[in-house]
Amino acid sequence: MSRPTENTVGMVGLFDDPDALIRAAERVRDEGFTRWDCHTPFPVHGLDRAMGLKSSPVPTLALAAGFVGLLTAVALTGGLNVIDYPIRIAGKPIFSWQAFVPIYFELFVLFAALTLMASLFLFCGLGRWHSPLHDSDIMKHVTGHRFAIVLEATDRCYSEQNVRALLEETGCRDVRPLVEFEEEDSGIL
Amino acid sequence: MSAEPSHAITDLIPAPRPCAGLRNAAVILVIVGGLLSVAALISDVHRARFGFAYLWAFSFVWAVALGALFFVGLQHLVHAVWSVAVRRIAEMFAGLIWLVAILFVPLLLYCIYNDRFGLYPWLDANKVAHDSLLSGKKAYLNLPFFTVRAVVFFALWIAFAAYFTGGSLKQDAGRGGVEVSLRMRRTAAPFMMLFAVTATFASIDWLMSLEPLWFSTIFGVYVFSGMVVTSLSIISIATVWLRSSGRLGRGIVGDGHLYNLGVLLFGFVCFWAYIAFSQYMLIWYGNIPEESFYLIRRLDGGWLVLSIALALVRFVIPFLALLSRPAKINATRLVWVSVLLLLGQFLDLYWLIMPQIHHDQPVVGWPEFGPPLLMLGALALYISHFLKRYLPLAVGDPLPEMPVFLLPHRFVRLSLEPSYTEAFESLARRFRHVLEN
Repeated sequence: MSRPTENTVGMVGLFDDPDALIRAAERVRDEGFTRWDCHTPFPVHGLDRAMGLKSSPVPTLALAAGFVGLLTAVALTGGLNVIDYPIRIAGKPIFSWQAFVPIYFELFVLFAALTLMASLFLFCGLGRWHSPLHDSDIMKHVTGHRFAIVLEATDRCYSEQNVRALLEETGCRDVRPLVEFEEEDSGIL
Repeated sequence: MSAEPSHAITDLIPAPRPCAGLRNAAVILVIVGGLLSVAALISDVHRARFGFAYLWAFSFVWAVALGALFFVGLQHLVHAVWSVAVRRIAEMFAGLIWLVAILFVPLLLYCIYNDRFGLYPWLDANKVAHDSLLSGKKAYLNLPFFTVRAVVFFALWIAFAAYFTGGSLKQDAGRGGVEVSLRMRRTAAPFMMLFAVTATFASIDWLMSLEPLWFSTIFGVYVFSGMVVTSLSIISIATVWLRSSGRLGRGIVGDGHLYNLGVLLFGFVCFWAYIAFSQYMLIWYGNIPEESFYLIRRLDGGWLVLSIALALVRFVIPFLALLSRPAKINATRLVWVSVLLLLGQFLDLYWLIMPQIHHDQPVVGWPEFGPPLLMLGALALYISHFLKRYLPLAVGDPLPEMPVFLLPHRFVRLSLEPSYTEAFESLARRFRHVLEN
């Protein structure tokens, strides 16, 4: 094993109450940062607005997928029961939409749900094995009683002095650099 | 919890004051409705129509009051915190139940003088004697037992409404703190069971027995789903109205509360559609004459239009209107969807009741308008009276600080460690035991 090298990949500001976090988030938003996030032990209402988050495309995608599912179900039931293999059951019309409504409903929900799951992976960037936050003890704080803003070093507004000054200006008394330990022969293969 | 719970909140909300506008409108409604009712009642031609219209309007206010009682019980049952800010509004409507009990008395009179009103076919002794199926149901469908059941239902509902609403008002007056809230939470569970049974049998007695040979095991749930939609609609309307008129203070009832009401409303709109379609599909599929005649009558001729309108007004339009998240926060949209759903409840009850008298097509004329106007007037009169005396917010509940918690820049400063500990302490012992191990 070779010695890990330290890499500063961002800056973390820890706050003691959600009010301070929201004020800080508003400052960070107004400074024009784009690659940053907040971590809190419980949902803080109004934080989405303070962070300037735009509404997500997920609901629209899910609805569209739902309607695709509905059309699929109409085509499936109609195609099979009317065209391919017409059977008259209980004297009902060949195309009895009443009997197919549960299928319309199920496929609507199925398509929408699978799309939701896929878009969750896509938009949340899931499937990532590791984050530098896991090495630090930030996660221990924000799952207990503290609130954190994490700013990534890749942001074009980022510079170490700037960010530290900005966080301290908003009343943060605990600013820590976020460090990633990189092993030199980190190649998996 | 924070040390002094209710002080901050009482400063934010104005003292109760009379609402003259609502009272005047209510008085006009009562007078107009009363005159129309009397006119229909004394005319020999319209008396039967009046009886059905009375049942129609009665079922509406019954659904409002009992649905609101269910809402209050539900919030206590699930230990909901967000709803403390709107629970008093539901308690206000739940307190209406004694008035509904009074309005039930004329209905009993119509049953006693059934030869002139012809409301329930099973009251017609001649008919029952010649129909073996009807006489077989005599053990259940007879006037004395019907009356006893109604008295038991109302006694239970009034007792629970007095308990929940009265307890909450007592907290406002400073008598009873957190232990009253905890006791109400415990009582909510037996209430729910009794509610399920009484609401089901009441809907069978008052609505399903209009067609005594027909039966549907899902009927009670069908009426219940419409009832919950109705009470949620009227609670939403009242919340938006009280908020915009400043009676709820500033910043206590926020967008989050409207969103939650909208979500519940949306959910129960879907639930109603699910139940309504389930009932329809099973009867359609089985295609047994003793069940299907009920639907055939309602899907035939003029009634088909009403059935389609019902599906649109009670499901399709509200579903699309409330689907997106911003729509549920938009107070204007929430109000118009709620108004539409209240109309939908009138339509639904009309669909259940009126085909028994107007076999071929829906008929609406002045005899149908008396009772609804009268009862909406009574409802409004009750509301204005309530608001004159009590606050529309449960300020005495130790929890109303929590909704403030939901707003940015306005939350209760409490340290998390002690409140986690407190939450853990308040867990039932057997759950705590599991967690500790």
